[in-house]
Amino acid sequence: MRTAFRQPSALFAVVVVAVVVIVAVAAPLIAPYAPEAKDFTAPLSGPTSAHPLGTDDLGRDLLSQLIHSARTALLVAVGSVVVAMLIGVPLGLVLGYKGGWYDRIGSRGLDIADALPGLMIGFVVIAILGQGMAVLILAVGLVFCMNFARLTRAITLTERNKGYVESARVSGLTAPRILFSQLLPNLAAPLVVQAAVFLGSAIKVEAALSFLGLGLGEEQPSWGGMLGFATQHTADHPEMAVAPGIAICVTVLAFSLLGDAINDSLSGSRRLRRTKLLGRVLLDDDTSRTRDDQATTADETPVTRAAGTAEEPSGDLVLALRNVDIVADRPDGGTVPLIQNVSLTVRRGEILGLLGESGSGKSMLAKAILGLLPAGVRLAGGSITLNGSELAGRTPAQLAALRGTGMGVVFQNPQANLSPVHTVGRQLIDVVRAHDATISKEAARTRAFELLDLVGVDDPERRLDQYPYQFSGGMAQRVAIAVALVGEPDLLILDEATSALDVTTQAQVLDLVLDLRDRLGMAVVNITHDLGVAAETCDRVAVLLRGDLVETGEVHAVFDHPGHEYTARLIAAYPGVDDESPRLGTHDQRKVEHA
Amino acid sequence: MGKLIAYRLLFAVPQLLVIAVLVFSLTYLVPGSPAAAMLGSAATPESIAQVEAQLGLDQPAPERFVDWIGGLLTGDLGTSFRSGVPVADLLAQHVPATLSVVAGGMLVALVLGVGAGVWTGTRPGTMTDRVVTGGTVLGLAVPEFWLGLLLTSLFAVQLGWVPIVAWTPLTDDPLGWLRGIALPSITLGVTGGAMIARQARAAVVTSMAASYADTLTAAGVSRGTLVVRYGVKNALVPVLASAGVTLAILIGVSFVVEKVFSLPGLGSIMLSGVIAQDFPVVQGVVMVTAVLVIAVNLLLDICYGLINPQARPQ
Repeated sequence: MRTAFRQPSALFAVVVVAVVVIVAVAAPLIAPYAPEAKDFTAPLSGPTSAHPLGTDDLGRDLLSQLIHSARTALLVAVGSVVVAMLIGVPLGLVLGYKGGWYDRIGSRGLDIADALPGLMIGFVVIAILGQGMAVLILAVGLVFCMNFARLTRAITLTERNKGYVESARVSGLTAPRILFSQLLPNLAAPLVVQAAVFLGSAIKVEAALSFLGLGLGEEQPSWGGMLGFATQHTADHPEMAVAPGIAICVTVLAFSLLGDAINDSLSGSRRLRRTKLLGRVLLDDDTSRTRDDQATTADETPVTRAAGTAEEPSGDLVLALRNVDIVADRPDGGTVPLIQNVSLTVRRGEILGLLGESGSGKSMLAKAILGLLPAGVRLAGGSITLNGSELAGRTPAQLAALRGTGMGVVFQNPQANLSPVHTVGRQLIDVVRAHDATISKEAARTRAFELLDLVGVDDPERRLDQYPYQFSGGMAQRVAIAVALVGEPDLLILDEATSALDVTTQAQVLDLVLDLRDRLGMAVVNITHDLGVAAETCDRVAVLLRGDLVETGEVHAVFDHPGHEYTARLIAAYPGVDDESPRLGTHDQRKVEHA
Repeated sequence: MGKLIAYRLLFAVPQLLVIAVLVFSLTYLVPGSPAAAMLGSAATPESIAQVEAQLGLDQPAPERFVDWIGGLLTGDLGTSFRSGVPVADLLAQHVPATLSVVAGGMLVALVLGVGAGVWTGTRPGTMTDRVVTGGTVLGLAVPEFWLGLLLTSLFAVQLGWVPIVAWTPLTDDPLGWLRGIALPSITLGVTGGAMIARQARAAVVTSMAASYADTLTAAGVSRGTLVVRYGVKNALVPVLASAGVTLAILIGVSFVVEKVFSLPGLGSIMLSGVIAQDFPVVQGVVMVTAVLVIAVNLLLDICYGLINPQARPQ
């Protein structure tokens, strides 16, 4: 809580709100004159030593009016937000909790209210009831009550199905008890944030109505009213408009920043705890590593078996990683190691499985190869070469030139891999044109057609004009593979690309990958936590544990005789791996089929 | 698409009907007799009875409602109690100015808002982002009429680039019309732009962090293409989804702002209508605003369906 309020904007908000409140409360003490006191010797004086902000046409001191206006502003704002909450919150609670027809009709009502500007509601209320303080508060309150109703409804809808409400219902509490004693406390935080923001908005609305002369009349000073007067003197006294405008602006800004600060401190304390936790877990990892896993300290050489290691400068080497370190920068200036000292190679036509549990750094490694590391994460050391050329230290523009022709990638979530608001054809054609700017529209479409056909999407002509949501998960992943294949890449990275698919679809997509590898001769890095997938598709595997590479080798050798204790545990934990697992067994047959 | 249009038209009808009922029942909410309120201190029992007869208040409510709806459909919105001018004529005279500045304001808001949203959303956390996003917070805090006042002071009074009282109908002089609505449009556009910029920024940040952005980048699509073609389109989805609300807010704001620029818009007749409790005028303005917002919402929903395939009824 305190940390959020140390932000300069939050400090500004708190100070300004405090000043406005003090000025409003102590207005008669602070103001040099009574707001209605007329100085007939100095009408429209302009700024003088007696009247720092000048006077109006009747000689009333504008500074005193400005100070007293803070009262009007706060009174109307607080009053109207209370009115808005008194109407909106119960309405939203009922709509959200009752659901069904109540909610359908109520929500339609809220939609219909959207067709009318909020200020219009204020106008109508004043037209019906006439002018006055109570009416003004009601008018401004009604402008905002719909917002409170909407917010309350939305939160209630999500809260009502949570455990604590269910158990209250089961234990026989009445609906009003559940609503007010169980649900309302959970709404308090967002409502307070909303209230702070609307206090600012209410001041703006009050100012607008007073500006138009619909506020409280001449006797009650208000910032809006002062600006209304200033409009008549833009030519002779333009300075009159400055002070009340700044007063409104700063006060409204302060309330909205206060809302943000409260919001940040409510959600931010949670966020802060989480980062601390993350840091601690990683630190724990470090200590546990030295304690338990003496054999696998970071600088130990991983178990490497079989031929084709990093040392071989063979011409068919597509990807080579040497001593790659990836770190995340912490806000306090320190770094958290994500990948340490990893060396790997992949050759043409080879499928390398990158294994490890969640958080082992598999995906970060893939993003580093692609040059797509998220902000705050960077390559801290080592070398990554693709077809012999170094990627580390390249500018984004140079990497961009390599992408697509050098590498392609397919990520996990089939639906998120494609833009939801563009047709599949549009996206494929954009990628085709990214590789060949001069290609004609028809030729690009033909190419897109061929690609869909290549990845086994039926009826490509029709499918090109469809949107991603019209594709099943497996078909969407086929399209994502097609996107990755446009530039005929030498390296295809599958980042858990089949993990979200059901077993049958997964097998079909993996078959496609094997088939494409054989036809196009690509190197493939298949990142997965599924040992069965690795066993079925990979030639070699590399095992990552908390950012360290603990073992690499030919898939059979590794799975049959794990050289590292972690690999053995991983295999033991895989269901059905004991005694001649059928899935592990298929590997050989597949190799024969594809030979 | 045809389905979507038909579906939306069908929804607009009950929406209008509900608003018509609300607007109609407005006079029944007045404490005491609306006729007495309208007459003010000059009210005598005879004059009240006369005005009630004139407004049809002596008729039973259902009968009056049927008459009133019938009038609406034939363009008869009653007569202003103050001036005796038919409300329909008043509206016809004052709608063009409101429409002009609101359309201009919406245009400025979209350009500013989507531009700023895409610009900041593609570089989150940078200095530029913080400055521009801070600017949108300020843009939301500035009272629109004050901004209008400052713009008038500077550009009309001090610099003399545009006339102070500037309204010229489009049909009289297109260039003069443009000069007349320039400052009010900018005034409205700053508020609307600040609202839109926040939504657009959030959408672009999400969209650029989505894995499809990585998929397309990895496949060779340039950052420029990604931002212009994919970032903007994804940013437009939430902007369009709430553009109807933004528009309604801008109409409300225009009612206030037009006083600063002495525009003969709906706000001026609404204001005198509210002060004089001239209910036929107030009802007319509310009704015409609602029709305007609903009609634009209809158009926006169709645009939304064009841009977001999942919003189309299957």
